[in-house]
Amino acid sequence: MIFVIEDDRGWESYYRRILKKYELGFFHDGVEAIAAMDEKTPDLIILDILLTGPTGFAVLNEMRSYSELERVPVIIVTSVSMKASIAEQYGVVEVLDKGKMMPQELLGAVQGAL
Amino acid sequence: MESEVFGANSSAVVVAHELKGPLSLSRQLALSLDFEDSLEGAREIGRQIAATSERALRQVEDLTRIARLEDAMFEMEPVNPRIVCDEVVAELWRLFRFNRRELLIDYRNKRKLVVANRQLLRSVVYNFCLNAMNYGGEELPSLVAIRDKGDKIRIDVRDYGPTVPTKVWREIKNGFVKKPVDIAMRPGSSGLGLYIAAKFANYMRGDFGLVRHRDGTSFYIDLPVSGQLSLV
Repeated sequence: MIFVIEDDRGWESYYRRILKKYELGFFHDGVEAIAAMDEKTPDLIILDILLTGPTGFAVLNEMRSYSELERVPVIIVTSVSMKASIAEQYGVVEVLDKGKMMPQELLGAVQGAL
Repeated sequence: MESEVFGANSSAVVVAHELKGPLSLSRQLALSLDFEDSLEGAREIGRQIAATSERALRQVEDLTRIARLEDAMFEMEPVNPRIVCDEVVAELWRLFRFNRRELLIDYRNKRKLVVANRQLLRSVVYNFCLNAMNYGGEELPSLVAIRDKGDKIRIDVRDYGPTVPTKVWREIKNGFVKKPVDIAMRPGSSGLGLYIAAKFANYMRGDFGLVRHRDGTSFYIDLPVSGQLSLV
């Protein structure tokens, strides 16, 4: 199952369309998502950085502190320009720019991460 | 936390970021048409693109109006706030739906007209509503309310999301809104919409403020009642 952590609900229909062959769970803030991870460990996380409440970085820090979630692959999809070194620091498999990415890139990143 | 994300923080950066959100979504929705099989699905994408890009256009228009405030381009006139709020709700209901939100009205004012500029008042209400859409929870609808308040009429928009941080509440209460980030309520927010609302309220000599609730926030503008009879 893929967890999509994105606070702008307008993106939900987009992800459902592009990733229609995958099972998706949507979370609109990091606290809600981390709580859900107690119940079920996702196979992959698609994470926005600018979230309501804790940022995506805070979510990553929290996740990486649990052994069960340490190795769950994360794809960041964000409007924020990020240095590659930051992604490396957090062990992120891919960083996609919301403004520039193509749907095929998202699909390819998901297929590559799973 | 904001600086962790934006680096050197400036109003221009956060304004650009605020505009990038709906523009990016519009682009991605358009690109996702290739992945849609049904005609009705494609139409729905078209409607979402229209609603999302209108939001970005409104923000650009508001920024242009801010630049023109100093030229005193906006005349004050008797305005019926119910008509203004109805227009905003009619424009935003679809965007609310795409964001799994609901927007309702609750008009209780007996006096009909305020002294305001119609365009600016519309922008104030629009930005209050967008703020409620962004921060409100899914369980309860946001509410656009109008009520009499002494010699003024209060227009407020109530949401049921996380309440405003004390710092933001204090900044607004004390009138310290000098730039958007002063009233950014969370890491992902530039505070642009509320900044615009504050500037326009100030121009119209209205009182801009907020009420903190345990389960959300109401942003309001109080405007003087117009002595003219309503012709509408």
